[in-house]
Amino acid sequence: MSGVSLSKMTKRYGIVEVVRGIDLEIKPQEFVVLVGPSGCGKSTTLRMIAGLEEISDGTVKIGDRVINEVAPKDRDVAMVFQNYALYPHLSVFENIAFGLRIRKVDKKVITQSVNDVANTLGLTEYLERKPADLSGGQRQRVAMGRAIVRHPKIFLFDEPLSNLDAKLRTQMRAEIKRLHKRLKVTSIYVTHDQIEAMTLADRIVVMNDGRIEQIGTPMELFNNPVNTFVAGFIGSPPMNQLNAIVNDVDGRLVAKVGNSLITLPKIKALANSSNREVIVGIRPEHVLLQASATSSPIAIELELVETLGSEALLHTQIAKTPFVVKAETRFGDVSHLDKVTTLHIEPDLIKVFDADTGMALATAIQD
Amino acid sequence: MNMNLYSRGDKFFAICIMVLVGLFTLSTLYPFIYIAAVSFSSGFAVTSGQVTIVPIDITFAAYDRVLSDPMFWNAYKNTFIYTFGGTFVSLLIIIPGAYALSRPQLKGRRFWNFMVAFTMWFNAGMIPFFLNMRDLGLLDSYFGIIIGFACNAFNIILLRNFFEGIPDSFTEAARMDGANDFQVLWKVFIPLSKPAIATITLFCIVARWNGFFWAMVLLQDEDKLPLQVYLRRVIAELTDDEEFVSSTVNALYSFETVTAAIMVCSIVPILMIYPFIQKYFNKGIMLGGVKE
Repeated sequence: MSGVSLSKMTKRYGIVEVVRGIDLEIKPQEFVVLVGPSGCGKSTTLRMIAGLEEISDGTVKIGDRVINEVAPKDRDVAMVFQNYALYPHLSVFENIAFGLRIRKVDKKVITQSVNDVANTLGLTEYLERKPADLSGGQRQRVAMGRAIVRHPKIFLFDEPLSNLDAKLRTQMRAEIKRLHKRLKVTSIYVTHDQIEAMTLADRIVVMNDGRIEQIGTPMELFNNPVNTFVAGFIGSPPMNQLNAIVNDVDGRLVAKVGNSLITLPKIKALANSSNREVIVGIRPEHVLLQASATSSPIAIELELVETLGSEALLHTQIAKTPFVVKAETRFGDVSHLDKVTTLHIEPDLIKVFDADTGMALATAIQD
Repeated sequence: MNMNLYSRGDKFFAICIMVLVGLFTLSTLYPFIYIAAVSFSSGFAVTSGQVTIVPIDITFAAYDRVLSDPMFWNAYKNTFIYTFGGTFVSLLIIIPGAYALSRPQLKGRRFWNFMVAFTMWFNAGMIPFFLNMRDLGLLDSYFGIIIGFACNAFNIILLRNFFEGIPDSFTEAARMDGANDFQVLWKVFIPLSKPAIATITLFCIVARWNGFFWAMVLLQDEDKLPLQVYLRRVIAELTDDEEFVSSTVNALYSFETVTAAIMVCSIVPILMIYPFIQKYFNKGIMLGGVKE
């Protein structure tokens, strides 16, 4: 098993820099997800690792070998494409066998390998069919079969599930996870769907505008986003962000949002910073409907309640800023939520970001 | 089609279209029927103007005369050589050429594409082309006819456009699987382009089969003449033959019936090719391979 290491990797089209010198170490057997909005350079990064795009600057290594100038076929990587890219004129068997045939592998070995893969992916009964006769999920599985049959060192996934409907996507996500657990091949997965990133990844790389914003485990990113971009990208719904001004009230730090005062966690960087502008980040699931001993109340205007079944989303406004709350229903009953006028917020669950740079101010220090 | 779902105007429009298409079909079909009918009629029936749709006084005399001429069979053989040899060489040039011109990584791609398209609008003209063929020693040879007209810019551009429409992910997937350009072309592009290649093949075959002018100019040796040139020669000979032309009144065959018989003989093979190629004209060959 090999890891992948990117060093100052850059992609330029003319004068436009799409990937701006990123550094990334991917450990052997790791499942890393590159996530970010459209045009953030995540797919280009993947394609550079695949060898489908030239690298303008920097290096890519697989294991200890620099592969900048190595042809895609000699990199020992396999890629699953967003649109499957199955050869429509070939049967499922031939689609999976294609790479082995090109490499002039012995016929018996090909039959054996394809059957093994088909078995793993539950495709055995479809081997004689053409792609047109398969459902979306089956096609996606054939595309994966084509990748795994070669036993590559690295798997690359380029938004493989974005063409599937929601239900199938959940199912295939689990299948990919299971496959990775079983094969333990280093995998790099590109998606714009943060739920896919959270559920699949050992580590997530959040990208924006050709740069890496943060690298970490899903929970690290969820609990400690380094800036407002990551905070707004990870989590569903994303973290609420309120503009606030820091005040010192009787020796405790509070954030003034509209007319409400929210007690802030103890943060070193905020010492003596009265009147400093900050952004207060609060996760929708971290809001209380009942006061606790340490929470601070905040007045809201309730706009609408969306019922999801066991939970509901409250769309509210705080000082003219949209603010979403995730609350539990009482066995589907939301009548108690319609009357909410005040929310309660625990200081320890608040993130504070600098208003100018958007960077997180050091996490709360326990005392 | 359930006509009840259409408004009166739509129905009227549909009927007009059907009538027009029907008339057009008849106008293209009738010459074939007429020629076939003439070829099977007696010379007298034709000259006296009795033949319209069905043969009158059915006789195979015209065919007997045509098919008994060894020169006819020789011309037939030559046409087959020019048609299939020429089509093969054409495809051998057009397919890789179109593939290369369709690749974004081709250096100077715009220039090369322009150079190919240029030949569609401007060429050297008849005399320089003839002199060129003469100087290359390609007069009076099978080879000259076959390679002299093998490369056709229109067909290259047609196929190039089709290749450009094939999603990049096919090429990329094949490259990741280890395929080189020849393998991508052979194992992916050609199978995916069957309809386009069938169209081009048909164009080549028809053009070769009907090729007349240059064959007449470039070939002197009677043994190498294709069917179309032979046909012209027979017509000319028969017209010159005063005796034949004037003695047709009661003859079993006449100038018209012999000409018609040769025409039928030269049309039938090309008509027979079409059904074989037609099966590749099915759309949706890309279906299921990629999700748009």
